Amino acid sequence: MKKHKVIFQPSGRRGEVEDGKTLLEAAQALGVDIEGLCGSKKVCGKCKVRIEEGYFEKDNIESGMYHLSLITEAEKKHIKPDDGPGIRLACTAEVHGDVKVFVPERSRAGKQVVRKAAKELYIALDPAVKKYNIELVPPTLHDMTTGDNERILKCLEDNYGLKNLTIDYFVLKELQDVLRKGEWTATVTVWMDSDIIKVEPGFVETCYGLAVDIGTTTCVGYLTDLITGKVVNTESMMNPQVPYGEDVMSRITYAMTNPAGLETMQKAIIDGLNEIIERAVSEIIKDGPNPGFSIDDLTIVFNTAMHHIFLGFDPVYIGRSPFIPAVQNSMNVKARDIGLKINPSAYIHVLPIEAGFVGADNVGVLIAEEQYNQDEMVLVIDIGTNGELLLGNRNKVCSTSCATGPAFEGAQIKFGMRAAPGAIEVVQIDPDTREPRYKVIGKADWHSHLEKINAKGICGSGIIEVVAEMFKAGIIDKSGKFVMDLNTPRVRKGADGKPEYVLAWAEETSIGTDITVTQGDVRALQLAKGALYAGAKLMMKRLDVSAIDRVVLAGAFGSHISREASLTLGMFPDCPIDKVYAVGNAAGDGARMALLNKDKRIEADYRARWVEFIEIATDPAFEKEFMQAMHIPHMKDKFPNLKELLSKSGCKVEIKG
Amino acid sequence: MATDEKRQEILDKLRNAVIQYDEDTAKEGAQEALDNGLEGNDAIFNGLVSGMEEVGRLFESQEYFVPELLMCADALYAGLDILKPHVKKMDLGVRGSVVIGTVEGDVHDIGKNIVKMMFDVAGFTVYDLGRDVPLDKFVEEQIKTDSDLVCLSAMMTTTMVGMKKVIDNLKAKNPNIKIMIGGAPVSQDIADKWGADGYAKDANNALKDAINMISSLKKMKEEAESKGG
Repeated sequence: MKKHKVIFQPSGRRGEVEDGKTLLEAAQALGVDIEGLCGSKKVCGKCKVRIEEGYFEKDNIESGMYHLSLITEAEKKHIKPDDGPGIRLACTAEVHGDVKVFVPERSRAGKQVVRKAAKELYIALDPAVKKYNIELVPPTLHDMTTGDNERILKCLEDNYGLKNLTIDYFVLKELQDVLRKGEWTATVTVWMDSDIIKVEPGFVETCYGLAVDIGTTTCVGYLTDLITGKVVNTESMMNPQVPYGEDVMSRITYAMTNPAGLETMQKAIIDGLNEIIERAVSEIIKDGPNPGFSIDDLTIVFNTAMHHIFLGFDPVYIGRSPFIPAVQNSMNVKARDIGLKINPSAYIHVLPIEAGFVGADNVGVLIAEEQYNQDEMVLVIDIGTNGELLLGNRNKVCSTSCATGPAFEGAQIKFGMRAAPGAIEVVQIDPDTREPRYKVIGKADWHSHLEKINAKGICGSGIIEVVAEMFKAGIIDKSGKFVMDLNTPRVRKGADGKPEYVLAWAEETSIGTDITVTQGDVRALQLAKGALYAGAKLMMKRLDVSAIDRVVLAGAFGSHISREASLTLGMFPDCPIDKVYAVGNAAGDGARMALLNKDKRIEADYRARWVEFIEIATDPAFEKEFMQAMHIPHMKDKFPNLKELLSKSGCKVEIKG
Repeated sequence: MATDEKRQEILDKLRNAVIQYDEDTAKEGAQEALDNGLEGNDAIFNGLVSGMEEVGRLFESQEYFVPELLMCADALYAGLDILKPHVKKMDLGVRGSVVIGTVEGDVHDIGKNIVKMMFDVAGFTVYDLGRDVPLDKFVEEQIKTDSDLVCLSAMMTTTMVGMKKVIDNLKAKNPNIKIMIGGAPVSQDIADKWGADGYAKDANNALKDAINMISSLKKMKEEAESKGG
């Protein structure tokens, strides 16, 4: 039987399926959950998927509608023009060639787990936009020489001391009606004490802003009440650019090799952000020309590539040495110029870029963690699709970017998957029997053999845990090599003859095969963690410090990574475990701070230039540091804190102290 | 001259020093080889390189990883440094020369350096252009040196696409030139699609390919020797 390559996005699951299978059958075989209420009877229309057209360099796949069976009448009934191009019903379309399939959010049965929840921030409230209530004397024939606009300006100057204000042209166009509708009482929204971006009739008490963090994989928006400073709603989604490349580099390549590739990806993210906006404001007043009209301010952080694509800048030059961005400084762009459906006269504040690959998201981390105000030597690791490091204290802070690859996110791992229900995320291995127990996302309890747990794969934080546990249980040695003669059926040679550890037997899974951790998986993780460690070491050298006082783990799943596991693996130099903190989405926190306090924007601009960027890939010492850092926890460095931690827990593995 | 037994002992020592990435023993073995009158070529190919072949096998089966590989290379170089000054001009019967480099925009070169080392050891003349090499430079250098093989490396998808241009230009100038490409984003499919002659999947296969070349060179050398006498 002829087989074809099928790739599902955004999960990244891929494999070969036999000719003639439906996309739904392919999805089930590959562990992708697609909604299918009617049981493939072609009546519910819930299983809509989009077929990507074109050649995808990274995956080496030529995908297109012509690789599927012809569209049926039943499908045509369900597919609406609103769905956009390339839509098919997964239960009906048969595979006759290679295809790349995007499963839209609403068609996914197992919803992505949001891991970017907002935490409490302690910061003085001084937002960039403020609302001023004004009461004007109704004009009469005796003061005919003053226009509506000038009346407002005078009132704002007399009552609030605001001078030299400008007014947005679009606000001006509506002004006459607004003032008269409110019977000469109005609320004026002023941006940075300089530009009037909205005038509403009557007294308005509410003011909203949105802090946005666009990650390579996940996007999140924090709808914030700018009067109280509280987050009133958090909305997130997979980055809709994922079909065009899972990592930053493949997206840049997509822009380079496809005509209109940049426009396609820019539109995808703007549309996505508009959807976040629409969902975020669903609970608040929607009085205006668009759903998000009540949002008057927006701050945004992202890595440099996402930044460029969002703003429509050609990303080609940041995709290659010497990685020069189009602009480094922060920007204020009118929402309407970008096409965001908030108050069209509002400004979008784009935080500055540090250098090359160290983007506005890292600036967000920097202003959230404020290493520059501390005496302690702090290492901040922002783990995402790329790893960014900040090291320093009030004297000096260095930053760098490490190519960790996507191993930490569960990609390039044989049974890796994103954080979604069914993903194994917590693991313990008994050092004597080498039997594991684990928890999957969506279930609070440890798995038991009494119920079918339906594990589907291992998520990024699960991979880190399982490899650390395998090391502690002596299943792999410090070089990462499997120890084969352990007398357990769980350590075996896989179909390819290479060693693997069985984490879940087939009957515990929903995919019908054993879930294993392979030698290759361990190697991928060693490369990723080695890059981080080497980056940290080279920065320590640059700052001439021999130890780190504190380690902060940031990033979408920073708060989900086990601190012990990351120390055990040697993702960073040795440090007391109680000095390792997980702070969650620090980049998003930075965006929220810039939204809540305008001085934070000035701070961000200053600190982005103050931080010293270090390029590590070209450092002559990198190769050696990288090589030594691939061992667990390290080939040469001592880990006295880890040694103590492990000996307390009765672990027999020897660590250099 | 050393006895056959002594010769074998020294060769094993060199071989094991490389496999066990033991620089000191490699140096010791190399010195012993010279002191006992072993041929430089003999000690290199049947000792050090033979060890590296086993290292390649261990890497292939994932028992060894990049750190071990690099340490083995250090041991190999330690021995080589001592033996090389005593090697007679190698007449391998083939002229082996290779242009190697990481393509424009890319500064990652660990993989390339490993491959380069293997060619070095095999007695090829290696023209290493380094990293971030302008695409035209590969063509220029090939013409200038009249090399048989051009090896292109890229670590990033963005820079990988530059390889196609180099392949096209090289093939246009000289259809007989052999081109090998490698690096994380490269695949056999891409190599086929772009018309490269060889594909090194990653450090792993790059090494294997390099070793295959060394092995065939050794074979040719042996044949040449047996004919000669």
